[in-house]
Amino acid sequence: MIKKVKKLVKDFGLGELRTGLKVTGKEFLNKNITVQFPEERTPISPRFRGLHALRRYPNGEERCIACKLCEAVCPANAITIDSEMREDGTRRTTQYDIDLFKCIFCGFCEEACPVDAIVETHIFDYAFESREGSIIDKKGLLAIGDENEKEISKARLEDSKYK
Amino acid sequence: MSEIEFEIDGKLVTANQGDSIISIADREGIDVPRFCYHKKLSVAANCRMCLVDVEGVPKAQPACSTPVASGMKIHTRNDKAKSAQKAVMEFLLINHPLDCPICDQGGECELQDVAMEYGTDVSKFNLGKRIVADKGIGALIQTDMTRCIHCTRCVRFGAEVAGIVEMGGTGRGEGVKIEPFLTEGIQSELSGNMIDVCPVGALTSKPFRYEARTWQMNAVETIARHDLVGSNIYTQTYRGRVKRVVARDNELVNETWISDRDRFSYEGLNHESRALHPKIKKNNKWQETSWEVALDFAISGLKKNTQNADQLGVLASKNSTLEEYYLMQKLARGFGSDNIDYRLDKADLSIGNTMLSNITLAEMESTDHALIVNSYLRLEQPMINHRIRKATLNGASVNTINNKKFDFNYQTDLEILSSPQKTLLMLQSILKSLHERTKTTVPKYLSKLTVDDSQNKIADDLIAAERPVIILGEHVNSNISSSDIASIISEIAALANAKIANLSLNGNSLSAEKVGFKPSNNGKNAISMFTENTKAFLLMDVDFNYDFIDSKLAADTFNNDDVFVISLNSFEDEITLMNSDVILPLAGFYESSGTHINFDGVAQSFSASVKGPGDSKPGWKIIKVLADILELNGFEYTDSTQVADDALSMSSANNNDLVENNIKETDDSKVAVHWQYSPYAIDGITRKAKALQETPIGKMNDAFISLATAKELKLSEGDLYHGVPVSINETVAEGCVFVHTYQSRKG
Repeated sequence: MIKKVKKLVKDFGLGELRTGLKVTGKEFLNKNITVQFPEERTPISPRFRGLHALRRYPNGEERCIACKLCEAVCPANAITIDSEMREDGTRRTTQYDIDLFKCIFCGFCEEACPVDAIVETHIFDYAFESREGSIIDKKGLLAIGDENEKEISKARLEDSKYK
Repeated sequence: MSEIEFEIDGKLVTANQGDSIISIADREGIDVPRFCYHKKLSVAANCRMCLVDVEGVPKAQPACSTPVASGMKIHTRNDKAKSAQKAVMEFLLINHPLDCPICDQGGECELQDVAMEYGTDVSKFNLGKRIVADKGIGALIQTDMTRCIHCTRCVRFGAEVAGIVEMGGTGRGEGVKIEPFLTEGIQSELSGNMIDVCPVGALTSKPFRYEARTWQMNAVETIARHDLVGSNIYTQTYRGRVKRVVARDNELVNETWISDRDRFSYEGLNHESRALHPKIKKNNKWQETSWEVALDFAISGLKKNTQNADQLGVLASKNSTLEEYYLMQKLARGFGSDNIDYRLDKADLSIGNTMLSNITLAEMESTDHALIVNSYLRLEQPMINHRIRKATLNGASVNTINNKKFDFNYQTDLEILSSPQKTLLMLQSILKSLHERTKTTVPKYLSKLTVDDSQNKIADDLIAAERPVIILGEHVNSNISSSDIASIISEIAALANAKIANLSLNGNSLSAEKVGFKPSNNGKNAISMFTENTKAFLLMDVDFNYDFIDSKLAADTFNNDDVFVISLNSFEDEITLMNSDVILPLAGFYESSGTHINFDGVAQSFSASVKGPGDSKPGWKIIKVLADILELNGFEYTDSTQVADDALSMSSANNNDLVENNIKETDDSKVAVHWQYSPYAIDGITRKAKALQETPIGKMNDAFISLATAKELKLSEGDLYHGVPVSINETVAEGCVFVHTYQSRKG
């Protein structure tokens, strides 16, 4: 009986509406938090797993040694590598393709890499203009790495404390 | 040997007195880690990885060198054993580099596997690691000696199996190095097995270097068919290409070893001169076309050019499969031609030299005397030579009758030099000596012969031996009296109670013999086809430069404008393009299913490891379709196993005709030439395998002539004999030029 009366009072006294408007009123005076992407960006964790990149050593030598551990560990079979002996006798890739449609961005490749060559960068906003565009080859991956080396190394440094 | 009972990991087992703990553990499926122990090599006990706990013995014992004893209680994984094994592992890892990601052994490395179980994740050692500079050891084996853990398997392999000590340990303690003694590179024809026995990545395959990782490849069980022992192998394939060949265990055939030829020949499959698409020659211009057009062109050309069916000649190399031989001869005979032959390199085709072997490969190693006639066994049939070597290690003696003295990897008692013209006479004298010794009547045709001491000794040795074997090698093929030689050898064998191994039927010749791939009635053979009006040829895997004993005669015929040549070939090099009118691309070794017959009659079938490149097709399929277009009956096959069943059920067309024996007047004044291809130039695929050609064996290029003969021929050291540099050498029989080369015969 009492329950019924309470409900009637709440319904006719616009209780729900007042509860909602309380939140509106509170936020009305607070600072605006909408981010104007792409002009503005939210902060990203150093562990963020976005678009892949192949890194180089500071002297310009590519890091990847074609050990194919990333290819082996990849749960989506997104990575394809071919290797050969380069003229100086070192083990190098002739082909390093990642199919971004297959990739599930799990980050295993980065974790498996013994030389920190393949990494997942903070880049998440990219688009393809053709279907084949989803496959990035070695040249493309190295270019992404070269372009973003500063951010990549900064993120690795920040995260290194927790590894 | 008495049986004893003991306990291993709480399991009561029995073994023979003298068995090592590790062999029993292996038999019982108990995993004991090891590096230096190998079932086919002697026990060195220097890696100390296999330490196990034996109750009552204060210290852990190496399982490989400790014999089992009655009542022994062995623990392979209790705390004492494990801590001993872990300690050894720690020591081994002190100097081993952590370069697994770039090491080709990664993924199949014994050290890696054992380290996963026994290694610790942190090393207590923080001083510098040892680094060893590499000495190159040839084109086949890549060395990374920093990775070496000094198990000495490769050293023992060289000393015990290959019979050529080429690797050895130098230095002491920290400074121990495993190095080759010579700088020219490894000479052995079995050297590739060192790659298999090496437990780490110190010795890896050079042609395979960085090609693929082990876990990516599919291993396909198949047969290597370069020689008379179809060694059991795995082809490891990756993305439709054969990337590597490794040995597969089969005690009856190749044990655990394979020859370098079997291991590295696969490189030829990926050669740039592979025939990829059917091609036809119209108005002297080659054009690529589809299979339909090429087959129609082939058949119409064939029909147009042959007024009579017997103007068709069918030739195949000695390395085709049983199925291909069977269908080819069926096609030819269905078409109405009996001009079939595979004996392209034989000088004497009068009577089939089809003496069959009556000894098995495994029996070879229990022989106590071997007489090797006309063979450089070590290079020509490495796995058979290995069995003979094992026999010599058990005390067997070996005599040889050859055109030249060869380097065998075992002691030979008596090496008789005999030029090809005199070999028959030599064997007849031995036969006479045997007749005298066994007190049997000497046949009339032998009565006039004289017998000298060495011939008597050969006869004596044969009679004295309990299980002698006579090996007839392939040098006899260039001898014009080879069938007489074969028949004399079978008589000698009968008198001396010896077994025969006829290795002159090399490659897959026994398959060809099995299905009757040679003229049976009045057909033309591989020589008369070129002299007698043959207007069309169907050729299977024939190399125009190398395969014919008289390549000039053959080339003259093929080049003739009114001769139509259908060439089923894996390669399209210049000479193939010049001589053929149609090229049908043929799937090569490992790309087609088939059957190979060993010298002892063991037929081994195999399936294709990979698909042929481009449009190439397996030989049996091409021939089947050709026969279908010709509307011949009996080609309703859908699978090569059906062909093999039919071929194997054929009663062997072996015509061991008796030869009427008499002393042939041989022309001694003429110099006999034996042109022996180096073991890495015996068939198309080996010739195109690059790494093999860079080895000392692959580079063989000498025309050996004795001084007297050289004077007679007006040749001196370094002159060219048919394109091959002359080497004056007193180990060659007089009246004979022994050419050992990778080159084909010119002129």
